[in-house]
Amino acid sequence: MCAQPVTNTKEARWQKVLYERQPFPDNYVDQRFLEELRKNVYARKYQYWAVVFESSVVIQQLCSVCVFVVIWWYMDEGLLAPHWLFGTGLASSLIGYVLFDLIDGGEGRKKSGRTRWADLKSALVFITFTYGFSPVLKTLTESVSTDTIYAMSVFMLLGHLIFFDYGANAAIVSSTLSLNMAIFASVCLASRLPRSLHAFVMVTFAIQIFALWPMLQKKLKACTPHSYVGVTLLFAFSALGGLLSISAVGAILFALLLVSISCLCPFYLIRLQLFKENIHGPWDEAEIKEDLSRFLS
Amino acid sequence: MEDEQNFSDICGGRLALQRRCYSPSCLEFCLSCPRITLRSLTAVTCTVWLAAYGLFTLCENSMILSAAIFITLLGLLGYLHFVKIDHETLLIIDSLGIQMTSSYASGKESTTFIEMGEVNDVVINEAIYMQKVIYYLCILLKDPVEPHGISQVVPLFQSAKPRLDCLIEVYRSCQDILAHQKATSTSP
Amino acid sequence: MGLVSRGTAEAGLGAASAVDRPGPPDAVPDPIPTPPAEGADPGSSRGPGMVLKAYFPTCCASADSGLLVGRWVPEQSSAVVLAVVHFPFIPIQVKELLAQVQQASQVGVTVLGTWCHRRQEPEESLGHFLEGLGAIFSHKPWFQLCRERGSKSWSCKATRWQGPASPAASGEDQVMLIFYDQRKVLLSQLHPPAALPDRQAGDTTASAGGLAAVFDTVARSEALFQSDRFDEGPVRLSHWQSEGVEASILVELAKWAAGPVCLLLACLLSLVSAASACRVFKLWPLSFIWSKLSTCEQLRHRLEQLTLIFSTRKAKNPAQLMRKANMFVSVLLDVALGLMLLSWLHRKDLIGQLADALIPVADHVAEELQHLLQWLMGAPAGLKMNRALDQVLGRFFLYHIHLWISYIHLMSPFIERILWHVGLSACLGLTVALSILSDIIALLTFHIYCFYVYGARLYCLKIHGLSSLWRLFRGKKWNVLRQRVDSCSYDLDELFIGTLLFTVLVFLLPTTALYYLVFTLLRLLVVTVQGLIHLLVDLINSLPLYSLGLRLCRPYRLAAGVKFRVLEHETGRPLRLLMQINPLPYSRVMHTYRLPTCGCHPQHSWGSLCRKLFFGELIYPWRQRGDKQD
Repeated sequence: MCAQPVTNTKEARWQKVLYERQPFPDNYVDQRFLEELRKNVYARKYQYWAVVFESSVVIQQLCSVCVFVVIWWYMDEGLLAPHWLFGTGLASSLIGYVLFDLIDGGEGRKKSGRTRWADLKSALVFITFTYGFSPVLKTLTESVSTDTIYAMSVFMLLGHLIFFDYGANAAIVSSTLSLNMAIFASVCLASRLPRSLHAFVMVTFAIQIFALWPMLQKKLKACTPHSYVGVTLLFAFSALGGLLSISAVGAILFALLLVSISCLCPFYLIRLQLFKENIHGPWDEAEIKEDLSRFLS
Repeated sequence: MEDEQNFSDICGGRLALQRRCYSPSCLEFCLSCPRITLRSLTAVTCTVWLAAYGLFTLCENSMILSAAIFITLLGLLGYLHFVKIDHETLLIIDSLGIQMTSSYASGKESTTFIEMGEVNDVVINEAIYMQKVIYYLCILLKDPVEPHGISQVVPLFQSAKPRLDCLIEVYRSCQDILAHQKATSTSP
Repeated sequence: MGLVSRGTAEAGLGAASAVDRPGPPDAVPDPIPTPPAEGADPGSSRGPGMVLKAYFPTCCASADSGLLVGRWVPEQSSAVVLAVVHFPFIPIQVKELLAQVQQASQVGVTVLGTWCHRRQEPEESLGHFLEGLGAIFSHKPWFQLCRERGSKSWSCKATRWQGPASPAASGEDQVMLIFYDQRKVLLSQLHPPAALPDRQAGDTTASAGGLAAVFDTVARSEALFQSDRFDEGPVRLSHWQSEGVEASILVELAKWAAGPVCLLLACLLSLVSAASACRVFKLWPLSFIWSKLSTCEQLRHRLEQLTLIFSTRKAKNPAQLMRKANMFVSVLLDVALGLMLLSWLHRKDLIGQLADALIPVADHVAEELQHLLQWLMGAPAGLKMNRALDQVLGRFFLYHIHLWISYIHLMSPFIERILWHVGLSACLGLTVALSILSDIIALLTFHIYCFYVYGARLYCLKIHGLSSLWRLFRGKKWNVLRQRVDSCSYDLDELFIGTLLFTVLVFLLPTTALYYLVFTLLRLLVVTVQGLIHLLVDLINSLPLYSLGLRLCRPYRLAAGVKFRVLEHETGRPLRLLMQINPLPYSRVMHTYRLPTCGCHPQHSWGSLCRKLFFGELIYPWRQRGDKQD
């Protein structure tokens, strides 16, 4: 095939098929090849404030971790009584529970088919198991060095932040793993607290802030975006305040982090879209348009 | 009727191939492997004894020295009796069979006799040995169930490992006798 | 001609080959027409003529002239000479004798040719006479074998008679003389190569090998060899003869008494086995104990063996006979060793000393265990263990040891008597005594076994819990139907409780694992000791001593095959080979005749053992009897 000289191109018009015998080498292409080139087919235009609004989920989660650590620090130092924290936590949970149903008028509950009795049972299970295990948790890591525990907790909380479901459709996201890592970290930290009541309250608080609060947030964001922005701001400021009472440098760094995530990162995202140069053409591998993911459960 | 030729094995060692022709139907090849050299023997003995002496100076236990002597003696005996093959003999008798004998340096002989009825053919084969490809002579045995199949391959001159020129010499003579055998077994 | 024949086996041949060359050259003209020298007529010898093989017994090499009697195997074109019939004879009588032999042995024994041994001056008439015999005993081809006086030059001629009376028109073939030792070939048992799986050991007739046919012929025509040198029969034969029947009275008596004794013993044994099969012993707790005690296994095994030995049925084939003999020797050796042990134990009152030493040893072991536990309850090897769990486990095990010590002290007055009775059991055989020893070790280290079981169960629970909780931690679950890990969405409370338990188990794992490790090591020590004892018992049980002894003293009895040696050769004479028996290697003797032992395979491979140890599954030294059969 290849031995055929490319002399009679004028007579025979080249076709982009391999199943017919043509007087061209197999790897021959003619001028029309680049006509099908297209650029940035799937590029999207972003609105700055929309991106800032979406980034508030990350802010919320960072603030949750920060609040949790601050509270733990207060408990460890003995500045915060466990009773008070337990009372506050219970009250805010009740408020959140009522809000959870009020926001969408009970539609979500109807859709999921979950009864109040099931909620009560879950709550009872949380309370009983945490209370029953709290003495065990207290002595669990007695002989393990504190630094090891700190390192483990930091590692687990980082994992929680990494694997959290921020709404992106990626393989790494696993809300189960993220929640489990947070609970593991909270158990590790709780075992360092002076008494078993402290440990009990700490783990309960961890459930509230890592499991229940994101559910409420999601609903808030979907139904009342304005109040959601307000809640986020309030939460961020309270976290900053708490951190400020412990260390000013930490607070400043945390504030910078929050600002860069909510303002700088969206700005860069939109700026960098200008440099995007995605080329598409007939050389791309075949693409299956239909979403097949529902077949592969 | 006896003649002797010199060949070399795959490592370049010297091999002597003795060919004894008793009758047209009976042929014997005797391949003598290189002898154990005094130099290597001395080297091994000295190494073992020096190591033993080193250990002795370290822990000052004279048991080590006697153990070294015993190990050397037993090792040498075992080597001569079980490992070192002095010569390998191939006896081909028309219409009777092929007999392989390996004589160890201590005088022990191990013999295998294969009846002609089981022999399918004698061929030269290639094998990968360490980092090189070597040739070896082998007997193909007939499969008792399937008449044209081969059930087993018996390699010849396993310890001497001669080169191809020596193998061809043996191979030709084997083929002569095998051809005669085949002609007589089919003619009646 | 530089060939020096090495190590001649037989006297006749030895003399022949020792004399290097006959002194005077053959001045006398050969009375028998020799076959045309091969060198002279290359065309006929090199052509595709048949090579005839004549198997000739070495014991007939010095016999007088006569007729060759044997069997012609046409497929191999070989003639197996079995005997020589001497002059004078009456042809009818020879034919009658051959017919008798043929009837007795089912082998086609015929007259193959003539044998001429020239001791004195050659007689011209003899040659013609021998030639004439071919007309009486017609056989195709007709062999004419001739040995020169006191020398090693043999000649052989095979003639195919074309017509009944025209020897001149006969075709002649090349002949190869193969000498064989009749006695060894008769007594040996050929083992075909193990590489061919479809051939059975006793099944020599089915295998069509040429040598097997020769062996078979010699073995089956044993009837021909019955008459010995001193018999005055109508026909004088020369063949291998036994040295004379051993007429010892003891042997006769033993032969005579063997039948009734076997019958009596078989009755006794069946009584014993019936008693042991009694229904009372099959009730649940007892049967469980029987299956776990190695002594019972060993006794049962011995009983089966004895039943087989003393069964009055005749062994069907040589393999079975050999097996019986092996079993018998093994039992004899076992009992002899046991009696030696018994006498040694009783001579110095060792049992009393043993009993006195046993209690302090048990106490000492318990004390050492206590020390070990106290060490574990501290911070062993600087490991950081969970203090609360550590204390709980340690106290639990300490209490157990306390119980054990009191139990031992309760037992102590009776130990000597028990040991004495156990020592008596050695007269049943060393293996039984060893099995009892193994059982005693198992009983005395029961506390270690208990610790091991507790530790292993706890550890197993932890490992399994951790593995499933780790799946939950990652949001996965084990799908039983598809045998794989699938992702799964859990409820919030499930996740919470799972993670809580996971954390707790992870932090408690090192404590449990350490206890498990220490007690597993102790357990493995005990199991190793028991395993060694079992190995020894198995060795005594399975060693085919009779076969090994036979291989050592009479190597030709167990033949792996044959080997040939070329005897000194002259041009123009037929090729002479000496066929010797190639004895079976010891490894194959062991492999072929190894006796079956009671459930002899180790239950685990090393890999599965390590896996079981890692996952905390229990390991047992005893073997499962039923599982290994299929």
